[in-house]
Amino acid sequence: MDASKFVIIDKSTLIDTEPVRQSLTYWQDAWRRLKKHKPAIAGLIGVIFIILFGFAGPLLSSVSYSDQDVDFANLPPVLNLYQMDEDIYVFLTNDYKLIQVSRSGMVLEKYKRIEQDPVNKIYTYANAARDIEVVLDFSYNLLPGKMDSPYDYTLTYNNSVVTESTRRVLNKKYPFGSDIVGRNLLIRVMYGARISLTVAFVASLVNLFIGVFYGSISAYEGGRTDIIMMRIVDLLNSIPLILYVILIMVVFGNRGLWTMIIALGSVYWVVMARLVRGQVLSLKEQEFVLAARALGVSRNKIIRNHLIPNAIGPIIVSMTMMIPSAVFTESFISFIGLGVSAPMASWGTLANDALSGLLSYPYQLFFPSLAIAVTMLSFNMLGDGLRDALDPRLRKG
Amino acid sequence: MGRYFFRRFLYSLLTIWLIASVTFFMMHAIPGGPFTREKAIPDEILRVIEAKYNLDAPLYEQYFDYLKGLVTFDLGPSFQKVGTSVNDLIVAGFPNTAKVGFFAILAIIVIGVPVGIVSALKQNKPLDYIVMFGATLGVTIPSFVIATVYIYIFAGKLGWVPPFGLRNAVSYIGPMIALSGYSLSFVARLTRSSMLEILRADYIQTARANGLSEYSVIAKHAVKNAVIPVITYLGPTIAAIMTGSFVVERIFAIPGIGRYFVESVTNRDYTTIMAVTVLYATIYVFMVLLVDIAYALVDPRIRFEKEKA
Amino acid sequence: MNNILLEVSNLRTSFYSHLGEIQAVRGASFQLEKGKVLGIVGESGSGKSVSALSVMGLIQEPGKVKEGSVINFLGRDLTSLSNKAMSKIRGNDISMIFQDPMTSLNPVYSIENQMVEVIQRHQTITKKAAKERAVEMLKLVGIPQPEKRIKNYPHQFSGGMRQRVMIATALSCNPQLLIADEPTTALDVTIQAQILELMKDLKTRISTSIIIITHDLGVIAEICDNIVVMYGGTIMETGTEQDIFYNPQNPYTVGLHQSIPKMNVDEKARLVPIKGSPPDLLHPPIGCPFAGRCPHAMQICLEEQPPTFSISENHTSACWLLHEDAPKVGDYITAEVVSE
Repeated sequence: MDASKFVIIDKSTLIDTEPVRQSLTYWQDAWRRLKKHKPAIAGLIGVIFIILFGFAGPLLSSVSYSDQDVDFANLPPVLNLYQMDEDIYVFLTNDYKLIQVSRSGMVLEKYKRIEQDPVNKIYTYANAARDIEVVLDFSYNLLPGKMDSPYDYTLTYNNSVVTESTRRVLNKKYPFGSDIVGRNLLIRVMYGARISLTVAFVASLVNLFIGVFYGSISAYEGGRTDIIMMRIVDLLNSIPLILYVILIMVVFGNRGLWTMIIALGSVYWVVMARLVRGQVLSLKEQEFVLAARALGVSRNKIIRNHLIPNAIGPIIVSMTMMIPSAVFTESFISFIGLGVSAPMASWGTLANDALSGLLSYPYQLFFPSLAIAVTMLSFNMLGDGLRDALDPRLRKG
Repeated sequence: MGRYFFRRFLYSLLTIWLIASVTFFMMHAIPGGPFTREKAIPDEILRVIEAKYNLDAPLYEQYFDYLKGLVTFDLGPSFQKVGTSVNDLIVAGFPNTAKVGFFAILAIIVIGVPVGIVSALKQNKPLDYIVMFGATLGVTIPSFVIATVYIYIFAGKLGWVPPFGLRNAVSYIGPMIALSGYSLSFVARLTRSSMLEILRADYIQTARANGLSEYSVIAKHAVKNAVIPVITYLGPTIAAIMTGSFVVERIFAIPGIGRYFVESVTNRDYTTIMAVTVLYATIYVFMVLLVDIAYALVDPRIRFEKEKA
Repeated sequence: MNNILLEVSNLRTSFYSHLGEIQAVRGASFQLEKGKVLGIVGESGSGKSVSALSVMGLIQEPGKVKEGSVINFLGRDLTSLSNKAMSKIRGNDISMIFQDPMTSLNPVYSIENQMVEVIQRHQTITKKAAKERAVEMLKLVGIPQPEKRIKNYPHQFSGGMRQRVMIATALSCNPQLLIADEPTTALDVTIQAQILELMKDLKTRISTSIIIITHDLGVIAEICDNIVVMYGGTIMETGTEQDIFYNPQNPYTVGLHQSIPKMNVDEKARLVPIKGSPPDLLHPPIGCPFAGRCPHAMQICLEEQPPTFSISENHTSACWLLHEDAPKVGDYITAEVVSE
């Protein structure tokens, strides 16, 4: 053995290998943790997207949510075109309207029906300039003599007969299709996002304020006041709250944005009040607050460094969770016909409007529903991530 | 225990009375009254109608009549469906609502809880991911979307089920899926996270250290603890089923009280609105009471706490 | 050698996290004779609890007892048994009680339910007989009115009483070995003394061998026959109670002694903390795990893990200071290497 290795070393020459962790503020740490949570980031992107979609989207378009064009009612987002001539493409609707569409999918003109023969099921259409005439025979598989035909229609233009749709294009004018009176569904869904998000956000804020106010007073006052205030909350909690949202909507009668906000905001604060009370109560008793006080930390510093970081996390998380559930509730109430009234339509109203034509025009339901689902999913994923990121008890590594 | 639940029962009655009162005064606070129309009704006719429904009596008299009616289960005539009493509507509609609701709750418990448990046991395995993906979708899609998509596919495109009504056993499937979808997904998620937490509990390690079989460790020691939070969620579940019945009965055209409620709300049929609100609230309050009893039965800590109180 | 109940050799247990392999136990060897009490001492993260859980076969995913580890219990290698076979041994031949009695009993079942289940799992007897046995055990561990109390639920017992219930359950099938993992740490000081008293008492009344795991040398002072000192997943020193308390041959053991308060010494004597913190088991040191904190660390301590030196028949220590080339510090004597 090398004897030199058996000399006691001077510890002061050794570098302290104990890792020094960078100290982070509460928010830096929360953001760092949130960034690691992939679903939460996806949720955050989703939320930002939905907000931009609703608030910036309509600005990019000159079309208004109420502009309608009955000629172009119930057009789907994907058009199956019949090529009549080199650059004449037409789209045939379920109710035998013939619409000229450009090769790239721009809706151009509804042809006028100039002759109709309902008995033999032959219609003749012409454009406004009367230089194009198309004959539609939709008797195949309908009239007794023409059963078992491989196609349902023939379209005749300039003696050339077309039996099959040869081109599928996306509807350029109405990317989400058009509704029953020919309004642009994309714009409607965008405005729906405005309505739904505004209602949800403002109602959640109202809930937040009432809840924080009520909950903290209850917890601070303690004693009898606390007991009575919490009894009231218990009582409200033992009622199916949605019934009251509905009743409030009925009582107010008018179906404005604010009625909906008042209805949602005046009822769901109960949850927040409980949460805040629980937070304040438990924090008041915690040793670290006591310890800080014993060390002579100023009251403001205790509030800023100890109480807020510990209480605000759960409050923000439950706020994030409240927004999607308000969207849900709002869409639900709108769906049963009590929502924000026409022509301003929330997603629930749009879904409700689509119900009657569901079997023929399923896309009218699909897009508002998709918007609701994306919003729910985004906020929920973000909320889950925030819960992990903002709960200091889970802080590690 | 007995005394606690007797007190809880009285408290429930008090709650129902409060709900009934609030509902009554809210409905009477509506400006104009039930027969106000856009097209004005001549005054004489309006007075005759109001006299017929006792609406010209002082408010307190109407209130006591209403309370008396609730206690004696005489809910008065429907304002809009002439010749029909609210009792008739409820007798006709309640069985349908109850049947569908019962099956939905059954599905939530019988499917949601085991799925959550299995998912927790297979944490981070493909099965777990699939279940959680489905459950996450389930809590993001509103019941009216599930219902309409179901009808579109199975009634419209495939023609496997009747598009509306409760004609045969198959026709229950759609309403059941639509009603239970959200809560089932929620319960599965809740059970999973609760189960994961319980599996890390010290007493699970104790059970293993005492040599209990893995089956007993999971089925006896973990599951009973894991379902406690699920039981507390049953109250909100019942509320969700009730409100779900509003849209699901409308979409599937089921003649239940949920549909009558929505119709009465749009028609301003005030007696029906009041009666159905109170009925729903009563069912809910007593369901919550039942949930509380179940909760105390499962968790001895709650049981003894209640006894002391 | 027939007297050996448990012989653990070269135990290696690791946990595989997303950060990498955390080597909680890195080659621990110790043995326990029948009827004796063994104390395993070390601070948190020293690997003492993981060693015990390895013996019990209770290492859960993502942890694993590595190949080459041998846990010989009465001639059987427990590492080779299936979980099912191990579950027949657990609670029957080897029992274990845990640190926190408040959370170690299932809150939703009565004591009777939990004890009877364990007894009936390992013995084919009637429910009635099992209950009688449970009552008898509760009496043994000093629970007043056991016939009545057995109907109670865990939350109706105090912490000390719950730990007694845990001990009663653990001993109900007459195990050959009882492992007590920090049995008093979570209890109030007075209750701690009572539980220790109980264990001392049980030691004289039953034939079960005991392993007590603790971070507190004071806990095991009077009760143990032999003591194992663990640090950084390795064994630093083993010896009889006398050896460890009065003739420690490892700077870490000395450090442990200096950091506990004593009643009867010079008032001016201060407690000497062991400076620094335990090694990172994700990247365990190449040399002696204690080198970074050791006041006598030498170059070799950083480069090579010390072999185990034998000081007397039962007394061993893994420390380079015992090497013949090492400088003499304090009372350390040189010893011969028993394993390299």
